[in-house]
Amino acid sequence: MTILRRLWTPRDGREPLSVPDALRRAELRRREGRYAEAGALVARALEIDAGNLHAHLLAAYLHVARRAIAPAKEEFHWVLGHDATHARALLGLARIAFEERDARTCHDLLRRALRFYPEFPEASALLELVHAREAAPPAPAAPAAPRVERLRLPGTGRALIIGRADGGLIASQPVTDDAKDVSEAVARTLQVATAALRRAALGPLHRAIVEDRRDAVFTRTDGELIVSLALPRATDPTQGLLDVNRLWSATQHELGLAAGSPAAAPSSTPADTPGAAPTRRIS
Amino acid sequence: MSGPRLKLALEYDSASRGRHVRDIVQELKQLYGVRGALIVAPDGFVIAAELPGTVEVDSLAALAATLGRELETSATRMGRPSFSTALFSADDGTMFLAASRIGYLVVLAEAQVSVQAIRGALADAVALIEAAWAPGEATG
Repeated sequence: MTILRRLWTPRDGREPLSVPDALRRAELRRREGRYAEAGALVARALEIDAGNLHAHLLAAYLHVARRAIAPAKEEFHWVLGHDATHARALLGLARIAFEERDARTCHDLLRRALRFYPEFPEASALLELVHAREAAPPAPAAPAAPRVERLRLPGTGRALIIGRADGGLIASQPVTDDAKDVSEAVARTLQVATAALRRAALGPLHRAIVEDRRDAVFTRTDGELIVSLALPRATDPTQGLLDVNRLWSATQHELGLAAGSPAAAPSSTPADTPGAAPTRRIS
Repeated sequence: MSGPRLKLALEYDSASRGRHVRDIVQELKQLYGVRGALIVAPDGFVIAAELPGTVEVDSLAALAATLGRELETSATRMGRPSFSTALFSADDGTMFLAASRIGYLVVLAEAQVSVQAIRGALADAVALIEAAWAPGEATG
């Protein structure tokens, strides 16, 4: 009777709402990208029925949608605490584990989800990605006399990363402490993009351009080697692609991977920075 | 998706945002060389989609959301600004991704599509979303 009273006569004068109504409206708001409103409705549902599994799952989704990962994990764990086979909660936690670079946990959660629900396309797609990461080609033997130090950034170039598909750093310019981390991050991004392109039936990835408010990072890859060049955001895409293509050819030439054009080929952008630090081979 | 459409978008009230977001996806889909478009929330939930029948929507959405989050979390880890747009070019087409307040806009296009045209349209679409979803609306 107490619960019913709270259902029909809210103390703060809000419109009376049942739990199913609140959750239905929350789903609609979520479908419209109105996450704050959806979250408020879920909170109302949980005021009435704190043990509602659907409400906790919805709360978890909404936390992720608002990029609030810690509370999302709590909610997903709550759901799994009440239903250990809940495939959606398993997938939610698996996605967070992937973000947190915890491949083993991600893999285990996806396997659990697929054991209970073999026909689960999102879990299958993510597991395929995790397997692809595990199967990244091994690092090739280092060339006997690499000459990547001859590579030069174009005049407007900000950074150059040469790495492998497994994330290993081959060389960078300038040589910085975080170059290894950048190489790993670029490789991870390209692995996810490759999986998405495969699902979209677009074929293997060759080039990428990622822009933020400062830079545009032009990348070329063949699935094994990655050459990534950061240029100012205002760079014309055609120009940036020409520059990264030139560095791609020069890198292949220096690594002895192909008969590319000489590393000293002229830059496509204004003159190379005078006195620019030479690229140093890292590994 | 030029100035007049932006003005129209500002007239939307909150109740019609669901239709508004579907309109944005349809506008993107109608661009020259575009095969399909979708908006996916960071949790992988498909808000709106117009994709070819050969593409499995939920799988692609899950990976597109993972890609968007990967770009965001990588930037955060390295103390860099978050990405605004990205494109990934393959043998048989190009996938564009743009970050917005409510999620990621994804466009699948022909390989030879005009990069500038699609990036401009995505920037307009993100601006429409920013205009229609007031600060705090999506993120609370």
